[in-house]
Amino acid sequence: MKFLITFAFKNLTRYKRRTLITAGAIAVGIMMYIFIDAMLMGAEYESVRNLKWYETASARILNDEYWENRQQLPLDLSISDPDKIIDRLDENGIIATKRISIGGDLILSSQEFGEDGNLPVTVTAIDPSTDNEVFHYADTLIEGRFLEQDEDAALIGSWFAEDIGAKIGSWVTVLARGNGGFYEAIDLEIVGILNCPNPNVNRTLLMIPFDTADYYLAMDGAATEINIKLSDLADVDAELPAIQELLNGDDLTVMSWTAMARDYLALAEAKRGGTGMILFLIFIIAAVGISNTMLMAIFERVRELGMMRSLGMSDAKIRIAFMLEAAGIGLLGSIMGVILGIVADFFIINVGIDFSFIMRDMDIGYRIQGIFRGAWNPGTIVIAFFAGILISTLVAYLPTNRALKMDIPSCLRHQ
Amino acid sequence: MIKIENVIRDYHAGETVVHALRGVSLDIDQGEFISIAGPSGSGKTTLLNLIGCIDALDGGEIEIKGEKVSTMGKKDKTNFRRINLGFIFQTYNLIPVLTAYENVSFVLSLLDIPEDEVKKRTMDLLKEVGLEGMEHRRPSRLSGGQQQRVAIARALIKNPDIVLADEPTANLDSKTGEDILKLMKQMNKKHNTTFVFSTHDKMVMDYADRLVLLHDGQIMSDERRA
Repeated sequence: MKFLITFAFKNLTRYKRRTLITAGAIAVGIMMYIFIDAMLMGAEYESVRNLKWYETASARILNDEYWENRQQLPLDLSISDPDKIIDRLDENGIIATKRISIGGDLILSSQEFGEDGNLPVTVTAIDPSTDNEVFHYADTLIEGRFLEQDEDAALIGSWFAEDIGAKIGSWVTVLARGNGGFYEAIDLEIVGILNCPNPNVNRTLLMIPFDTADYYLAMDGAATEINIKLSDLADVDAELPAIQELLNGDDLTVMSWTAMARDYLALAEAKRGGTGMILFLIFIIAAVGISNTMLMAIFERVRELGMMRSLGMSDAKIRIAFMLEAAGIGLLGSIMGVILGIVADFFIINVGIDFSFIMRDMDIGYRIQGIFRGAWNPGTIVIAFFAGILISTLVAYLPTNRALKMDIPSCLRHQ
Repeated sequence: MIKIENVIRDYHAGETVVHALRGVSLDIDQGEFISIAGPSGSGKTTLLNLIGCIDALDGGEIEIKGEKVSTMGKKDKTNFRRINLGFIFQTYNLIPVLTAYENVSFVLSLLDIPEDEVKKRTMDLLKEVGLEGMEHRRPSRLSGGQQQRVAIARALIKNPDIVLADEPTANLDSKTGEDILKLMKQMNKKHNTTFVFSTHDKMVMDYADRLVLLHDGQIMSDERRA
């Protein structure tokens, strides 16, 4: 075996340039694999975080019938005494906040916005005193101030503000149906602009105080949802039964963020599959490269092969020698690829790639507003390293076998 | 030692059949220094390949050291060659990335011989063939004659019973060729190894103790000289 290893290693130096080019192809494949995986992982990690921080929270308590009818944003399918439940959750060490989601029309006057018009909006009424314990909107305030209780004021997402031309101090009117079906027009002053990292939210966000919605829409203290924050490390689905237990007898249900974000998760899964295909193709290209290199290396040494077989070297040992040589190229390529991949990861993790020019006008599913940042994935680096060696080794099998099918006299005559 | 009986070997090139050997019979004893001579296409190399168990015959039988090699399977032939046969080629066929030492010693690594013994035997033999001090040179830094000396050492390192040499001096000038033949003969005498070599060179034939002349795949003469 020692001879085979020495022989394989020395053969690597026989055609240095070819070895380096092939190893380079493998390195690029591995680097791409590590880089794209880190970017996707970072995008998914950030998307999940932005989902939980700005959209779904960790879990949400709803009226039993609300989720099925959520598109209509029904105010009558509400939680009648949210504070009682929040207190109960609090006693069990669970942080929660109540909200009302309201469907309505935003009416823009020509006085404020240059022209008259209206557009459908979803208004979220939040409890300013507890909302930031569950969500993270306060950190995204870029202009003005945050909401206070019981004021006719609103916060708006920066992209939404840009689209309608709203500024701090602008007045907008929301026309919504109250609890019971009556129409109510609520005049609101924009007091703050939020630049929410979740593009889906930033594009449509309009927030008002809970008490204001409660008063104008006759909610009588009811909320349409109670959002719960659990530890980032918690297995949310595992904790749901205990929370559901606390709701017994209230005709309420608790849903995890994974159930609410099913569409996003399916999309992310599909993207992973698509990217997996691309990465598979990259590896195939690298594999074809090394297979070709080994084919050339083997057919340039057919006479040598004949000599070794004449002297009694078994086909198995010859195969091992060539596969070790390919493994050597794979090792070289893998080392180079992992180094390049780590350098690329440093860039994508610390600097990122700014996709805001796409994200501003297009929803690609990820809950990232602009800069895609990666995340370290040591598992992928290790897998890519060994996959590079393994694939290189395996693809040497076929050309070696082909050469070994030649009879020895033909090998010795080979020019 | 080697019994060749009525050996036939045909080659097919499309619809053409080339009769390389047409019923060759020959007995070779242990320690002989025998030359298979004849013009190009006479079947010298084919005969050597068949004795060397690297080609399959179409008829007849070959027995070496009492074993019928002509009916052996591929693996058995490989094992037989590994232990009993040494080869010297016209173009030396040294591995360019290995040193002279490694080119010789790798044969022993196939036989799982301990490293200390490999080292001793290789160094001794390289000295014997006149390559002392050149052990670490790669083939590209050796002359043709020196390369063929390495090839001779490689053929002899496992103390085989038979060494087969296909036109061993054809790529060398006459002086170097003569030196190589002297060395082969010296090894033949010292180790009592049977040397069977093919040639069409008169000078090489003169060195043989026995000369077998082939023509069109048949033995024309078999002359013992020593």
